Amino acid sequence: MAAARCWRLLSRGRARPLHTAAEAAATALETTGPDVAARYPPIVASLTADSKAARQRRVARWHAKAHAAESVDEKLRILTKMQFMKYVVYPQTFALNADRWYQSFTKTVFLSGLPPLPAEPAPALDVAALRAAACDCLLQEHFYLRGRRRAPLPQVREAVVSPFLDQLVAALMGLLSPHNPTLASAALDCKRPVNFYWLRDEEIISKGHRKGRVDALRYQINDKPHNQIRISKQLPEFVPLDYSVPVEIPVIKCKPDKLPLFKRQYENSIFIGSKPADPCCYGHTQFHLLPNKLNRERLLKLNRADQIEVVFRANAIASLFAWTGAQAMYQGFWSEADVTRPFVSQGVITDGKYFSFFCYQLNTLALTAQADQNNPRKNICWGTQKYKKIKSALIPKAYKEKKA
Amino acid sequence: MALVSWPAWRALASSGQLGLGGCGAPRRGAYEWGVRSTRKPEPPPLDRVYEIPGLEPITYAGKMHFTPGLARPVFPPWDPGWTHPKFYRSPPIHEQPLYKDQACYIFHQRCRLLEGVKQALWLTKAKLIEGLPEKVLSLAGDPRNHIENQDERVLNVISHARLWHSTEDIPKRETYCPVIVDNLIQLCKSQILKHPSLARRIYTKNHTLSATWNRESLLLRIRGSRGAQLSAKDPLPPIASREEVEATKDHTLETFYPISPTIDLQECHVYDAKDETGFQKDSPYPHSHTLYFLERANLRPHRFQPDQLQAKMILFAFGSALAQARLLYGNDSKVLEQPIVVQSVGTDGRLFQFLVLQLNTTDLDSNEGIKNLVWVDSDQLLYQHFWCLPVIKKKVVVEPVGPTGFQPETFRKFLALYLHGAV
Repeated sequence: MAAARCWRLLSRGRARPLHTAAEAAATALETTGPDVAARYPPIVASLTADSKAARQRRVARWHAKAHAAESVDEKLRILTKMQFMKYVVYPQTFALNADRWYQSFTKTVFLSGLPPLPAEPAPALDVAALRAAACDCLLQEHFYLRGRRRAPLPQVREAVVSPFLDQLVAALMGLLSPHNPTLASAALDCKRPVNFYWLRDEEIISKGHRKGRVDALRYQINDKPHNQIRISKQLPEFVPLDYSVPVEIPVIKCKPDKLPLFKRQYENSIFIGSKPADPCCYGHTQFHLLPNKLNRERLLKLNRADQIEVVFRANAIASLFAWTGAQAMYQGFWSEADVTRPFVSQGVITDGKYFSFFCYQLNTLALTAQADQNNPRKNICWGTQKYKKIKSALIPKAYKEKKA
Repeated sequence: MALVSWPAWRALASSGQLGLGGCGAPRRGAYEWGVRSTRKPEPPPLDRVYEIPGLEPITYAGKMHFTPGLARPVFPPWDPGWTHPKFYRSPPIHEQPLYKDQACYIFHQRCRLLEGVKQALWLTKAKLIEGLPEKVLSLAGDPRNHIENQDERVLNVISHARLWHSTEDIPKRETYCPVIVDNLIQLCKSQILKHPSLARRIYTKNHTLSATWNRESLLLRIRGSRGAQLSAKDPLPPIASREEVEATKDHTLETFYPISPTIDLQECHVYDAKDETGFQKDSPYPHSHTLYFLERANLRPHRFQPDQLQAKMILFAFGSALAQARLLYGNDSKVLEQPIVVQSVGTDGRLFQFLVLQLNTTDLDSNEGIKNLVWVDSDQLLYQHFWCLPVIKKKVVVEPVGPTGFQPETFRKFLALYLHGAV
């Protein structure tokens, strides 16, 4: 538009009719192309005007700065520097049907059962030794340890289960590292934060000085898994990157506030459990312990038996998405630079008695409205039903057997 | 406020509303009101008539209201008939069920002994040998026991603990101290590939130890939470030979007159002289292998000095060994046929103290006879300093981010103590 105006002014000045001026311009362009380009700067929208084009240009400049960042720390800083109000997503939540909401926030498909195993034969495991070690850990914490200070009543269960989980993870890592040398050099974290910040859909701002304008929805997960194992080599993928899953992702028509989800403004953090300089920057497995508030008995008493599975699934989807997403961002990928290889992690979620196993494959980080327009990829989460570990009734029985 | 004159201040104060004056000040200052204390006022003194023996005072208790001429009644303390746990008043010490006339001197995990290692050696009837035993040092020096890329992995562990594990720029000691010890133990555990018997161990935290013994007519007790402990299914083999053990008969314990040996120990008359290892009797991991003591406090005055930390390590290792010995061989005081060995590592995240204790005898009453043996390797730095942020002077990076003054020998000793008994 500016160019046309320019040419019109020129033609008026020289008192020539328009079409001849245009012909002259065309011929001039054909003959002196590089000179014309050199004489005039590229004609683009303004940077500082209060217009949509100017805003687009500012956003594009920010994207370019992020693309051109030299180190991962700098890139993360550029992407998370500006703080705005965002939804705080809690992986361990009492909200009803939270797993469907989290699937829509993270563009994840949930498949029940575990993913197809790779073609290589599984190594011969000494299941009896593993079972004995698990029994030992269980008995050690529940029974053999004496003189532990009594925690107040609601925290008694966690005070016993939490060290048991620590012991179990350490014991299993020790026993399985001969079969898996990567596990021998893995890093084990206890209660280290895992954070992730992402943008998903868009909304029209309902009130405020920016009323009526389009704004992206921002989410932040601040998770603290009970234990996690980080390795230096990436886990192999379960399915190819562009694998199309026939299952649909649930689409929720309400605003996330209905979940309930609340907005807060604070530091945007992306963290896998250690800083980008750590060589163990890929994830292997996370272990989560559900709090007493999301107790199975409590949910049954409130007549919400169907929410028991939902609690496990929501925790898995949110935690594993945050972890794999953060791992991908540590490798330099982000919503405008989508992942070129899938990021895979596993999770075990327990409430002390029941264990559920989950696997997660991150295929895409492009969840913003702009990047998601032609993105057929979906993230996939596989999950199992709950498995019961040894009943606590067996503990005094085992003691009696040992005594006899 | 001090420069404003009295009438002007009164005018200012009283210009506001009732209660609070202008600027939120009370209408009458502390000088006039008096400092308002929340202490209960003292009860009024008893009437003089109660002091006269044989006289029955006539009180207004029956009249249910105060009468000027009659005496003030004295009522017995009210007994509610049931005990609320919040308002429980414990009986005086002399009436408690576990009261004993003989005083017991208790050492707990926050006791800082004045004489440090000397006092701990006297209390445990032990002889000190500087440096770790040769058996352990040979394990440390043996290249077959080393992990691949050991130095690089230890440097990664240090960087992870000091910088990487937290979102803060400079993590505090309370977070990095346990992380570094856990990571070093994790690194040592990776040797399970070479030595499968390392799987016969368990790493536990937060259980209490209790052991009582007599020492020259003093009743001493150790009681407290041990921090972290590595327990094993098999006991550690004795280090010193029988001849060395017999040779300790000639050693005299160092006294520190005029300081009493029970200084800095908590004197207590209410105690229960029971021994407790922290585990049930038939636990699958009955033998303590190594105790780990972490000095996690951020402020230096809250942390133990190296001398005090070594004393604590000696006493807790001794308590652990003694409780184990009493469990295996009964409560009689005698010289042990099979000495019990317990190791200990104390650290504040940078400085490490290593200790090996061999319990030769439970006959601790007299100062003569066979003594226990303690090998101490003190003040081993793992690294001199760690820069969390690069030091830049005149736009040149003088010190990069990372540890400086790394000493690999310290980790080799740590690993040797871990592998001792399994190799």
